[in-house]
Amino acid sequence: MFQKYVFPRNVSAAVHLLNEHRGNARIMAGGTDLILDLQNGKYSTDCIVDITRIEELKQISEENGNIVIGAAVTHNQATKSFLVQQNAAALAQASAAVGSQQIRNISTIVGNVVSAQPAADSAVALFALDAQVRVVSADGLTVMPIENLYAGIGKSTIDSTLSLVTAVLIKKVEPGEGSAFVRLEQRKALTLPMLNTAVKISVKDQRIKEARIVMAPVGIGPVRATESEAFLKDKMPSEEVLQEAGRLAAENANPRDSLVRGSRNYRLAVLPVLVRRALEQAINNAEGGGF
Amino acid sequence: MIPENIIGKSISRVESAEKATGTAVFTADMKLPNMLFGKVLRSPYPHAKIVSIDTSKAEALPGVKAVVTYKNSPSVIFNTAARTAQQKINQVDDEVIFGKVVRYVGDEIAAVAATSEEIAAEALTLIEVNYEILPAVFDPLEAMKPDAPQLHDCKNGNNIATLIKLPMGDVEQGFAESETVIEQSFKVPVQKHCQLENHAAIAEVSHNGRITVWSPTQTPHTAKNLLAKIFGLPASKVRVLNPPYIGGGFGARIGFCGKTEPIAVLLAQKTGRPVLLSYDRKEDFIASDTRHSGYITVKLGAKKDGQLKALYINAVLNTGAYASYGPDVIAVLGTTNCSVYRVPNVLFEGSLVYTNTTTAAAMRGFGNPQGNYALECSMDILAEKLGLDPVELRLKNIIKPFDKWMLPYPCATSALEDCIQLGAKSIGWERRNEPKVPVNHKVRGIGMACGTHVSNAGPWAIQYDNAYLAVQQDGSVLVTVGITDMGQGSATALTQVAAEALGVPVEKVHVLAGDTDTSPHSLGSNASRTLYSAGLSIINAADKVKQQILDFCAGEFGVDSSELSIKNGIVSCKDPNKGQLKFEEVCDLANHKDLQFVAVGRNKLSNAPPWIAHFAEVEVDLETGEVEVLRFVAAHDSGKIINPTIVEGQIEGAVLQGVGYALSEQIVYNDKGQQAQDSFHEYYMPSIKDTPEIETIIVETEEPSGPFGAKGVGECAQVPVAGAIANAVANAIGDRINELPMNKERVLAAIMQKEK
Repeated sequence: MFQKYVFPRNVSAAVHLLNEHRGNARIMAGGTDLILDLQNGKYSTDCIVDITRIEELKQISEENGNIVIGAAVTHNQATKSFLVQQNAAALAQASAAVGSQQIRNISTIVGNVVSAQPAADSAVALFALDAQVRVVSADGLTVMPIENLYAGIGKSTIDSTLSLVTAVLIKKVEPGEGSAFVRLEQRKALTLPMLNTAVKISVKDQRIKEARIVMAPVGIGPVRATESEAFLKDKMPSEEVLQEAGRLAAENANPRDSLVRGSRNYRLAVLPVLVRRALEQAINNAEGGGF
Repeated sequence: MIPENIIGKSISRVESAEKATGTAVFTADMKLPNMLFGKVLRSPYPHAKIVSIDTSKAEALPGVKAVVTYKNSPSVIFNTAARTAQQKINQVDDEVIFGKVVRYVGDEIAAVAATSEEIAAEALTLIEVNYEILPAVFDPLEAMKPDAPQLHDCKNGNNIATLIKLPMGDVEQGFAESETVIEQSFKVPVQKHCQLENHAAIAEVSHNGRITVWSPTQTPHTAKNLLAKIFGLPASKVRVLNPPYIGGGFGARIGFCGKTEPIAVLLAQKTGRPVLLSYDRKEDFIASDTRHSGYITVKLGAKKDGQLKALYINAVLNTGAYASYGPDVIAVLGTTNCSVYRVPNVLFEGSLVYTNTTTAAAMRGFGNPQGNYALECSMDILAEKLGLDPVELRLKNIIKPFDKWMLPYPCATSALEDCIQLGAKSIGWERRNEPKVPVNHKVRGIGMACGTHVSNAGPWAIQYDNAYLAVQQDGSVLVTVGITDMGQGSATALTQVAAEALGVPVEKVHVLAGDTDTSPHSLGSNASRTLYSAGLSIINAADKVKQQILDFCAGEFGVDSSELSIKNGIVSCKDPNKGQLKFEEVCDLANHKDLQFVAVGRNKLSNAPPWIAHFAEVEVDLETGEVEVLRFVAAHDSGKIINPTIVEGQIEGAVLQGVGYALSEQIVYNDKGQQAQDSFHEYYMPSIKDTPEIETIIVETEEPSGPFGAKGVGECAQVPVAGAIANAVANAIGDRINELPMNKERVLAAIMQKEK
C-alpha cells in the first residue's frame, strides 16, 4: 500500500510530485475506482497525489463559449449545476445515474473518464457532447478530443503517474441544440448499466441538422452510432424516423453476453428503444424542455 | 405506575441506543489478548480430488502459527445445519471440516492462523495443491440422471439425498372427480440472505481444553452440541455465545455460520491462542448457505364452481454440494403449500438433489416461498380457466379453523378471509379487469397471492425451549433464554412478555439471550418460532415464580395464597384490611429470609399457522420488459401482536426480500462452475429506489396455543410476494413467465412471444 498521501496546492505542484516520484506517484480525485484498484492489485503506488484541494479544479465555469468542468468536480456537483443543466442536459442526467448518493458525493466526472470503463455514464454523455479534455504533464498543456483517451477496456491513454486531466470542456448550447441520456439497469442504484446511451441533437427548421449518438457497453469504450447519425441528417424527426434511427444504431453495437448484465440478444433487442427514447428526449430538450 | 397492558405496545427496542450510537459489539469487533487471524483456502474447481497438498512453505512464512488440512483435522462426518429432525432416518451427514474431495467452487481445502490477516492471506498463496479435476454437474434434473457425475453415495438414486412423499386422501381419484385440471411447471433461482454482517467466529481454548466460541449463530445450543461431537468433547465443555449482537440472519446462521466455528476452534486448538475467522463478502456469497433453487410442478383439479378436489405438487430442489437443511426444507415446502386450501386429495413428492454448487439450506420461508410461488401462480391459471375471479376462487377454498388438513396440529385460528378482503379493498382489486391501455409503452397489472407458514419447528423437529427466570433482590427480573436476537426484535418482545406475565414494568426486566452457559436448551431462532416458543417458556417460568411469591406472601399476610393477587407490581389481598405489598418490598423480605424466587419454564410443544394475503400493483414497460412494483399491500394474521412496530418492520423487510426474489435476485454459474454473482455489486437486491410503497394490514386473532395469543411472523411476509407479483405481471401483459426472477429479459421475451 502507499506510503505517502499528498495534497498539492496547485496543478504545477501536482505535476512536480509526479515527476519527482518517477512513476511511483499517482493522481487521485474521488478515488472510488482507484482505491479498489489498489486493493485488488491492478495498480500499486508509493504516493497518492490527491487533487481535490486544488481550488481551480473544483470549479464549473464558462470560458470562451465553453463550460469548463474541473477535474475535482463531483457527479453530484455537476448534476446540481445550473450551467451543466442548461448546456449539457445529458451530462446532468448521466451524473445523476452514477453509483449511489454517497459515491456521487465524492466521485468525479474526470475520474469517470480516466478510469476508461466502457459504460461509464458521464463519459458516455461527454462523448455525445463532443467534449475536449485538457491534459497537463511535464511537457505542458495539450487539449484533445475525449475519444483519444480510450486505449482499451479499462485502459486510458492517460498515464496518471505522468500527467493529469485538469478539465473537460463542453461547447455551450446553441439555439436548436439539445441532449439527453437514457440508461437501462437491473437496479435503480449501485449498479453498472446493462446499456446506456447519450444523444446530442441540433434541430433547425424542424429538421435534424446533426445528431451524435453514443452507446455503451457495446464495444471498447463508448461507441458512436454512425449509421444512425448519417441517416438522421436533414430528416424530420417523425416517430418512424426515430424508430429507424434506433434500429440502425444497433448495427454499430457489439454487446457481449453477460450472466450479470444481460445477454447480447436482449441488449440488441432493447438498444433501439433506448436510442429512440434518448432522441425523443434530446429533441424535447432542444425545444426548451427540461430534463 | 405500570401500564395496564404492555402487550400490543410499540415500546422502543432494548438495543436501539447501542446500535444507533455504534457501540453495539459484533463478532469481528472483538479483540482478545494474543488473538490470531484465520483465513481459508478454497477450491477453484467445482469438483476435484486433492491428489497432494504441501503446506511447508506456508508454515515457514514468519507470522504463521498453524496450517490445517484434512491431514491434521477431525474426520467426524457432520451436517453444518446441526439439524434436529425427529426422524433419524432422514439424517444426512455428509461433510467434514476438510475433505479430500471438493464439491463446489469455494469448498474448504485448508486454513491458516497467523498474527495478521495479511500474513494469513499471503500464506494461502504458498499452499501447493495438486488436483485431479472431476466432471461436474450443476442442474438437479441433470444430476439425477444415472450417468451424471456422482457427488455422494446415495441410496435413493444418483445424487438424490432425500426422497419424500406426503399423501392425504386419494389424489388419483380427486383428479378423476375434477371437471377442470391444470398443470404447470415453474423454475426458481438461488437467492442469498445478504445479512449485513458477514459470517465470523472467534474460538478460544482454555488450558483444560474447554472451548468458548463467539459467533452470530442463530442456534447457539445446537451449534454447541455439534462442536462437542466434532471435537470429541462433552457438551458441557463447550460454550457458544453471541457477542451479543448479530447483524441479521434470515436462516444463514442456523447451526454453523459457514464453517467459521469449527475452523476457528481447530486453529485455536492447534495454536493455543484465540483465533478470529471472519469471512469476506465474497466468501459469504459463495461458501455459505443459499436458498434452494429448483423445479416445481403443480397440478390442480376442481369442480366447475371452483371447489378444489385434488392437488399434486412435485418439487426437485437443488441442495448443492451438501445436504445441510435440505431434507427439512423440501418437507416444509410440501406441508405448508398443501395446507393453504381445503383439498380432500393431496400428494406432495419431493426430490432433494446434490449438484456442484454452493450448499443450499435454510432461508426465510424455508422452502415455502418456492412452493407458494408455484401454487399461487397455478391458482390464477385455474381461476382463468374456470372463468372465476382469483379472489373468489381463493375465498371459496381457503382452510377454515379446524378443517381437516395434513398437518399434525390443528388450525385453531385464521383471519385469512379478512386479510384477503381488506387487502383487495386496499389495492383496488376492482381495477384489475380494466382494459390495459399502454401509456408511454407501459401497462399496469394487479395480482394477489396468499399462504400460510409455521410458528414453531415441530412436530417434525425437536422444538422444546426452556427459560430461567430469576427475580433479583431489588424486585427486578432476569430472564435467560437460549434463542438469539439477530435483529428481529425478539429480546424486546420477550421483555414485554415477561413484564406482562409477572406484572412488572418492562424497565425492570432484562432478557439475556444467545449464551449456552447461561441458558438451558433451546432450538434457537428459526422457523418463526422465537417469540412463540421462548415466549411460552417465559410465561411458564413467570407463572411458577408468581406462585412462589403468592405462597411466600400468604405467610406474610396470614392468609391462604388463593386470597392474593399480583397486579401492577403490587401484591394485594382480597381483604382490603390486610394491606398490600409492593413487588420490591416482597423481594427484600424474601431475601432477608434466605429466599429467591426463581424458576425454569418450559414451552408447550405446539405449533400454529399464521396467515398471509399479499397484493401487488405493477407497471410493465412493454418495450424493455422492466417491471416496477408500484404498490404492495401485505395483510397478515400473526395472532395477537406483542409489538406492532417490530411486526411492521418484519413484514416490510420480508416483502422487500420477496420483491428481489421475484424480480432481480439470483446466483447463476458460469462455464467454469463459478458463481457469477459474488458481491452486492452483481447481486441485485432492491435498492431504496426499487422499493414500492408497502402497506401493512394486521388482522389480530387470539391463538390459544401462543404466548398471549401470538403466532409466528418473521418468515411469513416473504412467502407470497413472488406469487403476487407474478400474478400482477401476468395481469398486465396477458402472459405468464413461470420462472424467477422475472427480470427484464424474461419479461420482454414473454411480451414478444405474446405479440407473435
